[in-house]
Amino acid sequence: MTAPIGDHGQARKLRWRRAKGGVFVTVASIALLLALSVLVVLITTTTLEAAKLTGMDAMAEAGIAMSVRAFNYETDQDRESIPYLSVSNIISGSSAEEIGIKQYDAITSLNDEPLDTMEQAWQILATAEADEDGMLNLSISWVPAVDRLIGELGSQSIPGQLGQYRASIESLNPGSPAARAGLQEGDILMDANDLPIQGRRKAWGAIIAVAKRQAPSEPVTLTIERDGERMDVPLDAERSGTLVAERDIWEAIWDFATSLDSPNRPERAGLKSALLGTIYIMLVMMVFAFPIGAMGAIYLEEYASKNVFTDTVQILIANLAGIPSVAYGIIGLQIFARELGMGNSVLAGGLTLGLVILPIMIIAARETLRAVPPWVREAAYGVGATRWQVIRSQVLPVSLPGMFTGMILSLAQAIGEAAPLILLGASLYVNYVPDGLLSGFTAVPLQIFSWVFRAKAGFNTVAAVAILLLVGMMILLNALAIWLRNRYQKGW
Amino acid sequence: MERHGSPSSRPDSGPERRIRLHAPRGRRLKENLIYGIFLLSGSAAIVITLLTVGTFVVRSVPFFQEVSVWEFVGTADWNPISDFSPDFGALALMTNTLVITAIAVAVALPLALLIAVVVSEYLNTRMRKTVKPILEILAGIPTVVYGFFALETVTPFLQSTIWPGLGYANGVSAGLVMGFMIIPLAASIIEDVLYAIPRSIREGALAMGATKFETVWKILLPAGISGIGAAFILSMSRAIGETMIVTMAAGMQPAWPPDPSGTMMTMTASIVNIATGGEHAMTDFIWGAVFAIGLYLFVVTLVLNVISHLIVERYREQYE
Repeated sequence: MTAPIGDHGQARKLRWRRAKGGVFVTVASIALLLALSVLVVLITTTTLEAAKLTGMDAMAEAGIAMSVRAFNYETDQDRESIPYLSVSNIISGSSAEEIGIKQYDAITSLNDEPLDTMEQAWQILATAEADEDGMLNLSISWVPAVDRLIGELGSQSIPGQLGQYRASIESLNPGSPAARAGLQEGDILMDANDLPIQGRRKAWGAIIAVAKRQAPSEPVTLTIERDGERMDVPLDAERSGTLVAERDIWEAIWDFATSLDSPNRPERAGLKSALLGTIYIMLVMMVFAFPIGAMGAIYLEEYASKNVFTDTVQILIANLAGIPSVAYGIIGLQIFARELGMGNSVLAGGLTLGLVILPIMIIAARETLRAVPPWVREAAYGVGATRWQVIRSQVLPVSLPGMFTGMILSLAQAIGEAAPLILLGASLYVNYVPDGLLSGFTAVPLQIFSWVFRAKAGFNTVAAVAILLLVGMMILLNALAIWLRNRYQKGW
Repeated sequence: MERHGSPSSRPDSGPERRIRLHAPRGRRLKENLIYGIFLLSGSAAIVITLLTVGTFVVRSVPFFQEVSVWEFVGTADWNPISDFSPDFGALALMTNTLVITAIAVAVALPLALLIAVVVSEYLNTRMRKTVKPILEILAGIPTVVYGFFALETVTPFLQSTIWPGLGYANGVSAGLVMGFMIIPLAASIIEDVLYAIPRSIREGALAMGATKFETVWKILLPAGISGIGAAFILSMSRAIGETMIVTMAAGMQPAWPPDPSGTMMTMTASIVNIATGGEHAMTDFIWGAVFAIGLYLFVVTLVLNVISHLIVERYREQYE
């Protein structure tokens, strides 16, 4: 009957059964780690993106505003586009002005790294080593704008080639690098190193493209035609200097949180109107939904008689909690914004979010009320308390912390809701602070949505910073709710 | 013997020693007043609830008088804001929604099942207390954040590793990220059901010589099948209603036939699309299309929620 000790078949079978369990546990643990790692990856990538904000801020402090341009260079086969950074604005009194960078210059390298995009510049500024005071000393080189580099260029038609032009020097700027290199008026620009100069407009671009490829100290060799003769002239096209920038992460965040949105300057865009908008609509929402939710729950739980009607309402409320929030946006737009004429206002936004959280709020409040065992009420009735006395002095004191927890959790959810507010027709560019209940608004999630879809580089960075702030708020609220729950939870 | 006599008729009791059987008038008034306040706010909650449901039904009637239900459900051309010949076929929207939902549920359900088992059966209390709040954070992260994540992180990652042909806006990363967002919801439903299974059943299985894995696989999971079913259906309902992730990561053009590697538009995204299309586009008729989609979403999610509720109730094992 009993298996003999050392029955190999049995032992193998048992080992196999145990091994299956081991494999299962491993797979399942990997699943858990995968889910948790998604959170880690999400936070990490967002933080990496957001870190460029300090670079953006430092660049703005140093006084340079830039935009990306491109020099298009055509060969017989195809067309190459060489991007460069053009200075769109220099702030007076800044470090950039001191070293002589001017509007329309082209920045070619920063800390000896050639620059193609603004992200690279911000990345360098965000990660460069600073001295003890947070000051950065960066070597920067740039090519002055064409009128300061050479002078005025003109077009000359190429003999024999109809419709094709080449660049000639119409007037030379005295004291410019070109004048120092010995160029003269009337010279025709042919090549910059090996890049042929294709017309007046592209001459400067070709010089930048060559300068970017080589070290700042190396001159650009211009091949020119003077009186029918070709000659090479070395031109010191690039200028260099040391840019002093201050990098202060807290100031960067503070500036971000307290400035208004900017339509196409990410380094200036801030979250002020969105933050205040969120606070205002949350206040409206709390004033509207919390009392109705809590009192509605008390009515349903403590006063209403149990009949078909209350059962139906209960089922309806439970299901409304599972309806997509975008559906409430439709209702909010129809009822609040249109029929009641509130438009896209703080009031309409708060009320719409109130609709979203009302069922959640009622369910949470009813749960806590139901957790109070009936004998507590019966004992209170037994000593002659009225219904309100029972509720006020027995039921509410123990269920209030639970209700607050529910309120905070629904607040944490509402703070991140974007879909219902988008439907309200909240405009996606708001650069004012709401000044009343009927004022237009934007909110943090809406602002993020709007930034993500702006074409200009850098809006992703500000969106990432806003995301970190939003997630931070949400985690704080959740932590508060958990603390409340643990602190006041009462076991019966 | 004294029962029948009224207290005041007792000879030796003066008026000040009367036992009060009724609350004084003032208190009764207060009671009623408070009852009235609660009744009012209770009915406010109920009225708001009914108003929400009613608005959908009432507002989509004019739309369906113009566009037949068959055209809405059975044709695939969706072009509501066209000036010349608007089309109102929601078939492409529905199938796009289904495909993205399927991806999300295919990611969420197996992972949620494994996670629920690990958390409820294998982790000790302390580990559970650390893991569960982290999962709750995963569930609480705003959906715009997930949309950003799908668009800026997941899509570029997939493009550079395994799927070079993936579009900038695509249904795959939207579905994947949505799946991860749903995991905590599905896992907590399954876990609740597993938690309700009494210890004696586990111990019985172990005493019969089953390994822990066999206990989980052959005893607990079959017993918790209602939770798994409910989790499946609620995940679906959540995925169908999700808006921001698909609006941001899946694009604004419905695909027919549905192809998840390119732009897709779900029903929720189409609502956002119309709403952000500018005021000039918002004729009452187009607005009716929004209500029609809203009603459809409302009904589908309502039905799914009710089904999940019924599953849990119907198949809940009764333990002593």
